[in-house]
Amino acid sequence: MTRPGDRDIALVEVVDRLLGGGVVIAGDITLSVADVDLVYVGLRALISSVASAEEHHALPRMGDALAKEPR
Amino acid sequence: VISLVAIADASGPAPDGPVSSVVAGDLCAFWVPADEEPVTVAKLEDREDLLETLMEERDLLPVQFGASVQDEQSAERILVDRHDEFTAALDRVRGAVELALRVRAVGETQAVQANGRDYLAARQRSSDAAQRLHERLETMARTAVIRSGADLFRASYLVDKDAVPAFAAEVARAQDTCPELLLLCTGPWPPFSFAGEAPTS
Repeated sequence: MTRPGDRDIALVEVVDRLLGGGVVIAGDITLSVADVDLVYVGLRALISSVASAEEHHALPRMGDALAKEPR
Repeated sequence: VISLVAIADASGPAPDGPVSSVVAGDLCAFWVPADEEPVTVAKLEDREDLLETLMEERDLLPVQFGASVQDEQSAERILVDRHDEFTAALDRVRGAVELALRVRAVGETQAVQANGRDYLAARQRSSDAAQRLHERLETMARTAVIRSGADLFRASYLVDKDAVPAFAAEVARAQDTCPELLLLCTGPWPPFSFAGEAPTS
């Protein structure tokens, strides 16, 4: 079951992992500076949406199930 | 120009869908056409979906988003040049997935407003509880990395696929016994935090 806030948290993790993790290939990184800025604007928006959900007590406690949406 | 998605054993099943692969020896690289348009959250989600589809049928090393090379020949050269590094990393993650944990302290804002000393004491207790939880979870994982960030505590764990339910149950138990902590456990993820050099923690 997906609860309010689950999706935001999963998104923050997705953004964080895809950009900050994984095999680093020495070569061309296609993200231009402007694009990176765009992504991080998005990330900040996501983080603030998580904080906002928490403020409204909508953030679930995820001990009982892993938080990512089932696919 | 092609954008690399993941590196895997060449012996795995051929992918279907919007991804191509190039083989060099016992390794293969999955790729999609490079996209010069601005990055959006939707594109990151699509990439994550693709990785999760691929990881259903094979062990893989996700490639950092945005890594692109000129053509398949360039990808082949990377597979050859970094063969030993990739095969060692694949061996490390084989049969395992990444689980992420973020720990936040509940009600910090109110505590700050009440009394600075109480706040610091409460934060120390929360931090100690998070550390104890981490120590328990670490024993259920092949390896773990502590990550920095704004959270009280944050770590990634490389966990055998069949140990995921026990790991989740341990987090659930911890949440029940530590109401002062907010435990955010996500996954299973492709092994983003374990795809590079061997972690040292």
